[in-house]
Amino acid sequence: MTLAQVQVGAEIPALELTVDPERMKVMAALLADPNPIHFDRRALAALGMDERPVNQGPLNMGYLQTMLARWAGGRDRVVDFRVRFQGNVLAGDLVRARGVVTALQDTERGRVATCDITLEVVGGSVALSGTADVLIGEAA
Amino acid sequence: MSDAAELNPYADRIGRAFPGGTYDLASWRCWLVADTLVDDPYDETPHPVLAWMAGVAGMGMTWDDLFVWFDATANDGPMFGEHRTTLHRPLEPGASYDVSGRIVSVDRKVGRRAGAFDIVGYELDLHHDGEHVARCYNSIVFPRRSR
Repeated sequence: MTLAQVQVGAEIPALELTVDPERMKVMAALLADPNPIHFDRRALAALGMDERPVNQGPLNMGYLQTMLARWAGGRDRVVDFRVRFQGNVLAGDLVRARGVVTALQDTERGRVATCDITLEVVGGSVALSGTADVLIGEAA
Repeated sequence: MSDAAELNPYADRIGRAFPGGTYDLASWRCWLVADTLVDDPYDETPHPVLAWMAGVAGMGMTWDDLFVWFDATANDGPMFGEHRTTLHRPLEPGASYDVSGRIVSVDRKVGRRAGAFDIVGYELDLHHDGEHVARCYNSIVFPRRSR
């Protein structure tokens, strides 16, 4: 199905990946985030938490945005993105980003698909859910 | 303390502005962010998550500084609540963004199990060459178990 043929109810191709703790360390540095729950297993144990580091919120958001961008044809296609944080994602988790089109609208910027989006831990619970607006066609 | 202040003791923080700053979408940042997301680092279009990262990095204060505004520390267990990014125009590789932001809401809630907690909303704006490029909204939940 091409983007021009997208209708309400269309499912966005899911994105699955396994969360890599080494990438979380790089993100901690990029964010200048000193919270050890993202990289220090010893600190996690001292806190009485699961020893698997906790993935950063921006990474979880980013997986959903990547799914939307790949479907819509580019990273510059995501125009509005709204999520609620509902649960943690841990190092080693397999996560799945999913989306479904709930509305279509022609705007000044082009044809916009509004989508319900979810990031879930496979075999676990929902980590993020929300909605997004994505450009899927140029303005007439 | 007045009844209103008792119901929402941090209401006077609404409207308080962050110091602000700038954030450069340097190519190395764009590359590394894409790589951490298991996305294509050679795609030169910046990943949209960089809007939020630019806002936070350029707001001119640390998380700890922000927590202090609400008499909290990282040890109190503040949590992300909701997030929204609105991109009025695409991010540009190599661009430098002016960041400004402010507290936009504070709500005191009481849950049966969680007890009292405050939900603080803040906005971060990115401008480039005088154009409003993006706005990010975030809420942080501050547990107030002992109050």
